[in-house]
Amino acid sequence: MTAMIETTAAEDVNLVDLMNTRARSYGMLGRLFREEIDLATLRELQQMRFPQATGNAAVDEGYHQLYDYLKRAWDDSVTELAIDYVSTFIGHGVNGYSAAYPYESVYTSERRLLMQEARAEVLATLRENELKRGNWNEAEDHIALELEFMQRMALRAAEALADDSEDEAVAYLRTSYDFLQNHLLNWVPMLVTDMRMHARTLFYQGLGQLTLGTLQEDEAVLRELLDSVA
Amino acid sequence: MAYQHQGSAGAEDTLELLAFDDEFDPLAVDDSEIDQEWMDDENPYDTIDYPTMRNMPETVHHDPVYSPERQGSVTAALRALLTRNPNRRPVLLSIIGLCEGGCASSVISERVEEWQRDNWSVYAPMTFCRMLERAGALTLEMPETTEEQEDAEEGVSFLEIRETVDPVWRSTDEALALREEYLAGTAFRNAVINAAEARYAEVYIAVMEALAARPRTVTEVQELTDTFDITKSPRRFGQHFLDVLEDTDCAAWSDKAWNLTDLGAQMLAELKAAKEA
Repeated sequence: MTAMIETTAAEDVNLVDLMNTRARSYGMLGRLFREEIDLATLRELQQMRFPQATGNAAVDEGYHQLYDYLKRAWDDSVTELAIDYVSTFIGHGVNGYSAAYPYESVYTSERRLLMQEARAEVLATLRENELKRGNWNEAEDHIALELEFMQRMALRAAEALADDSEDEAVAYLRTSYDFLQNHLLNWVPMLVTDMRMHARTLFYQGLGQLTLGTLQEDEAVLRELLDSVA
Repeated sequence: MAYQHQGSAGAEDTLELLAFDDEFDPLAVDDSEIDQEWMDDENPYDTIDYPTMRNMPETVHHDPVYSPERQGSVTAALRALLTRNPNRRPVLLSIIGLCEGGCASSVISERVEEWQRDNWSVYAPMTFCRMLERAGALTLEMPETTEEQEDAEEGVSFLEIRETVDPVWRSTDEALALREEYLAGTAFRNAVINAAEARYAEVYIAVMEALAARPRTVTEVQELTDTFDITKSPRRFGQHFLDVLEDTDCAAWSDKAWNLTDLGAQMLAELKAAKEA
């Protein structure tokens, strides 16, 4: 822990801010996967600033695609995006290859089925962390819920750091890292490949790339932080 | 709080099978070669193969239901659209009127929400515009997008959207002409004054005068029409007269009651004159 504090001081990084930034990123991504965007969300996204040359190719591509779509977006884009959300994530077939299904079970089960072991594992992880699905009627291994789990862990870590409970914060970081490794990074690359195939708008193409890049970057950040306290 | 991995032995096997390794590049996956035979074995009950499904969004393309190509002209397409969407006709006609000379999308959205306050629709305002566009009643003018706006802060450059687009919709001449026809009361004349419904003229006059006096509920209109012998056999309920008045834009539902429109007031005078003649 001392090493962590020294590293923090040396690099002049405010860990509480870092955790809150991570939480916001995961929260935004989770929201965009959870359901179609409405006009208010579209307008909010258009207020965003899109970083260039972050050092991660997927993040850069994702931001640029989102920017290219959003700068031309208007009222009718809400309908266009709703249609694309359905064709990207729901599709119109029964063979398991008709959409980029946003469930981990589809990508980690032999027959591309819902509600498989991945869902049971995520459910167990949620319970272990005193969380449960709210009144949202989707399986626990939906990408939106997995991203929201990461958001919650980042918020808890921020809170723990703010309270100087560093051991607790490290535990949350470990939970986040393990979840990232064992779940999100295990299947999201395949989901993003499918999104590239099924999404017709630059918005959902970009969302896929941004998500992939964000997970890769966060994995590096978490690994670095945890290495510093090992 | 200590973290404990919850994966079962079975799960570990599955994860191992699909493990993410450092050399895996999702963007490099070549899916152009598809082994249909393998897929058929995997999914014996599939009736549609993978390549067909993948191409379906491009190949399954529906022509617009109401379009000049299908109905023969803009006027015919728009008339069919208005006839098949009677509850939306007032809003569709109002949009055409609003877009005479051009109107920004944001303004249309705002006004449509207002017009539909008492007659809500699942259609978004822009969906109405798209329906009218397909019928040839509106044209869309997309403004040029601004160049990329860059900003830099602490060595990081950002792209910003400083100006959002607000496309302009413009009514076509055919649409404006047909709107004039509707607003001139042609539908009411064809449905009531110059049709078999003319025998109910006194009932229509009574109903329209009642609506002109103050908004009425269906029950009140029903009680009124029941006072006429002609509505007893064959039976004609109050709702029938309201339906005709609504279909001809002479009555509108607002604030939980039926109201006489401006056009309805004009048609009331014309109906009275026709009856006296």
